[in-house]
Formats: sequence, structure tokens, C-alpha cells
Amino acid sequence: MEQQNARYQSIEHLHRQLEEKERELEELRYQFEEARETIDAIRNGQIDALVVEGKDGHQLYTLQTADRTYRVFIEKMTEGAVTLSQQGIILYANTQFANMVKYPLSSVIGLSFDQFITPKAISQYRELFQNCWNADAKGEVYLLCDGDKIPVQLSLTTLELQDGLALSIIITDLSFQKTIQEQLRQRNEQLEIINRALEISNHDLQQFASVASHDLQEPVRKILIFSHLLRENLDLLSPDSIKYVEKIIESSTRMKRLIIDILSYSRLSANDFGIEEVNLNDVTRELLEDFDLQIEEKNARIIVTNLPLVQGNKGQLRQVFQNIISNALKFVKTDVQPIISISGKRIATKSFNSREDPGGDFALITFEDNGIGFDEIYLSKVFALFDRLNSKDKYEGTGIGMSIAKKIIDKHNGLITASSKEGAGATFKIILPLRHTPS
Amino acid sequence: MAPKNLLLAKDDGDDQQLFRDFLVHRRDVTLMPIAENGVELLAALELIKHANDLPSIIILDHNMPRLNGLQTLQILKREKRYSHIPVIVYSTYVDDDLIRESKDKGAFKVVSKPFTKEGYHSMIDEFVLSITKHSK
Repeated sequence: MEQQNARYQSIEHLHRQLEEKERELEELRYQFEEARETIDAIRNGQIDALVVEGKDGHQLYTLQTADRTYRVFIEKMTEGAVTLSQQGIILYANTQFANMVKYPLSSVIGLSFDQFITPKAISQYRELFQNCWNADAKGEVYLLCDGDKIPVQLSLTTLELQDGLALSIIITDLSFQKTIQEQLRQRNEQLEIINRALEISNHDLQQFASVASHDLQEPVRKILIFSHLLRENLDLLSPDSIKYVEKIIESSTRMKRLIIDILSYSRLSANDFGIEEVNLNDVTRELLEDFDLQIEEKNARIIVTNLPLVQGNKGQLRQVFQNIISNALKFVKTDVQPIISISGKRIATKSFNSREDPGGDFALITFEDNGIGFDEIYLSKVFALFDRLNSKDKYEGTGIGMSIAKKIIDKHNGLITASSKEGAGATFKIILPLRHTPS
Repeated sequence: MAPKNLLLAKDDGDDQQLFRDFLVHRRDVTLMPIAENGVELLAALELIKHANDLPSIIILDHNMPRLNGLQTLQILKREKRYSHIPVIVYSTYVDDDLIRESKDKGAFKVVSKPFTKEGYHSMIDEFVLSITKHSK
């Protein structure tokens, strides 16, 4: 009995020992499992620090490696980022990608990436996917996101992970860029349409002015010729009739001049612009010869000093000088000898306030007269098309001359201005660049 | 001095009549039958048998149907028989382009149509004078 009791006791002891060993084993298994998880976590980058129990108590080990910076960077960047297996399955995705495709982050992992590509873009994606294993690849596709689609750029790069090659794709949302591009394209298109319309209308207008003027000239010429012939038959006409014929001649002469002026104004825009060295002294001398009769008739004195050599269109510059001189000869005071002075100097900058500079790049030409002048409140009207400051009964003219002058000076990248006081003469100033630069 | 033969091509009836009226009294110029356009002018020239009877001046209106002034001028200048005859291009409106183009094609002068009887006469005076100088 005692012997039996002793055997029981030893069995019980063994049993207890066994149970204890099993507990120890369990404990070790648990520790092993824990260690393995920790290693996995470290490997996957889920752990930033770990505590290890050592001889001197607990010790903290932190994992301050480049890896952590990289993970934060991927998570925070505005681009979507995914890692794909060689089969195209999403192994990893950042939050941004999940937001793009409007999927919960947790359910993105494990899905095939190509299910987020629109059907139209899928073949392009497959090609990128195939090629990227040899060399980095980039392409623009549309990403499906909950029924919507967004334009994105994919940048594919292979990654060497511990269990073989994987693929990293950076997904850049191009929506904003595309919207801007689209807006820009639309604006450009609109601009082009407007431009074309403008060109056509400009051309039409020129054509119209040219045709109208050509075709208007001939009837006016006929009116003039036949009324001149009529006036010759003085003995057949009553005094009143002679007066009427005179009026017809006067009006048609004026109309003829108007037509010619409109024509030259409209041709200014069309004319090809031949540039040469123009000696303004020669231009003025030739012009004064043309005005010889008028100068003599009005007993005018013309003083010309020191005009520069400029690059420009000789015919057009001549026209400017002609219009200004003709104005000066036209608007004279009846009781004073007309004096017109034309002078030039070189200035430093393209400004009427510029200082004189003998080596300057610009020429300032001043036309000064002692005629009837004008009130400066009408300055803007001087250069406006068809605006006249004086009644046409007293001073003939069409009101186009100074507009032509301004347009020509504009085309030469120059400036023109006038100053005057009523009754105290007028001054016209022109600035021309010495060297012509196409605008 | 023998009168200059003047051959004119222009389609405008009024202007034709003005030429006839103004030139009929002049002794220095004979007006040959006026052609309506360039084609008629060339045909009229073909009918002239003797080189001596060819016109001493040809005046071409620029604006004519079928063959305009410049086109007719070009043909005349290419024909050996006519190339020596001074040709005047005559137009209502003369601009730099017309002058340049006419001179390029060998025109002797480019003039704008006169507005008075005196204008016609001084125009013809000038033609006769410059042709006389030209042929010397």
C-alpha cells in the first residue's frame, strides 16, 4: 500500500514536471512567435522602435534609418504611390492613391492594379507594364475612380525587394494641369478665330476702301471734266448757272481729294514697307520745290536746319513732311508774313522730354509756324481721322492728312505730337529712331 | 514735222469721245481709230502692213476688259515688231505699285487721267515732246 502510494506520488511529480515543461515550452513558443512578428514588422517598416529586456533592465532600440523617412515621404506626398507584384497585384498603396480611386486603403491591397485603368487606356497600360521591367517608363492614362475618370501620369520603376522584383508606380494627378491646358487651348482657339475674323474684316475694309476709291474716282473725274467744259460756254449760261457750275466743280474737286486721301490712308496698312536710308534734308528740299508756287503766293519764309539721316520708308516720310508743311502753309495769318522753321537734333531716348545727345539713337524734328494755331484742348482731334478744327469754307482739306502722318510715324516706331496756342502758331514734333527696327 | 500717230485702247465711251473732241483740232497728233480693249488693239496693229504706218505712241487704259493695260503692255513688249513703240499706261488712279509694275514691264510713262480740257492738252503736249526727245 505504501509502495503504491510512493509510486503515485512519483507519477504525480512527473506529471507536474511535465506540465511545467509544457508551460515553459508554451512560453518559449510565444516568445518565438513574438520575435518573429517583430522581425516581420521591422522588415515591413511598421516599427520605429522596440524594447528589449536585457541584463540591466529594459533597453529601447529605435530604427532611425532612411527607411522611415522614405515611408513618411511616400505617405505625405501628393502623388499616389503603389507597389505591384510581377503579376500586377497591389502589394502596397499609400493613402493618396486610395483617395484618388475612392477606395478604402485596406481593401486596395491585393487587388489587380489594371482594374483601376479605363478600358480605353488598358492596352497602353499593359504595354507600359511590359516595358518597365527593362527600363523606367512613363505614360499618361485615365484612372477609374468610382465611375469618374481622372487623367494621370504613371511613372514605373522596378524595385528589388527581398522576395524578388516588384514594381513601384508613382501616380500624378493631371486633372488640374489638363484643365488648364484645355482652357488654354480653348482660349487660343477663340483668339485664333477672333484673329482670323479681324484679318478678314481688315482685308475686306482695305479692299473696300481701295475698290470704292478707284471706282468713285472715275465718276468724279467725269463730273469735273464736263462741268469744266460747261463753264467754258460762258455766253450760254446765266450768271446763276455759272455760280452753280462753280459749286459743282468745287464740290467734286473736294470729293476727288477725299477719295485720294482715303485711298492713301487705307493703303498704308497694306503697303509692303521698304526701308532705306532717308536724308530728310533732301526730302525737304524736294518738297519745298513742289510747294514753290504756294510759298511765293503767300510770301512765306522757310528755314531748314540740320535734318538727320534716318532709316525709313522714303515715300511715307515724304508724305508726313508734305502734310505738315502743307498744313503750315494753309493755316497762315493773313496779316503776318508766314515763317516756317524745320529743324532737327539727335536725342538720347524716345521721349519729347529727352535731353539732346549728338550720339543719340533718335531724331527729333520740329516744325514751327506762326500761323493761326489751335487750342490745345483739341490736340487729340488733330490726329483723328476726318476731324477738322477749321471750317472747310475757310481752309480746304479733308481732315485725313494728319491721321496719315500719325499712322506713318507709328509704323516707323516713332512719336508725333503737336502744341499750340490759338492765334500763336503751331509746333509739330516728330521723333524717329535712326535705325529702323521692325515692330 | 510729221504728226504723231496715236493709238489708243480704252473701253470708256465718254473718255474716247473726249480724246476725239480734244485732239481733232491738233495738227501735231493724229488719232488712229480707238480700240475698245487690248485684244482689239493687238488686232488693229496686225492689220497694219507697213512698219512706217505703225503708231508712234500707244496709250493703254489700265482698266479694260479681256486684256487690261499691263497685260497688253507685256505682249507688245515681247513682239519684236512693236517693242520699240513707246507705250503709256493711263489710269484714273496711279499709285506706286502701278508705276513700278508698268515700268518693270517696259512702259514709257504712267499717267493719271486729266480732270480738265487743259489737262488733256498738256498731257498730249508732254507725250509729243518726250516722244520727240526719245526718238532722237
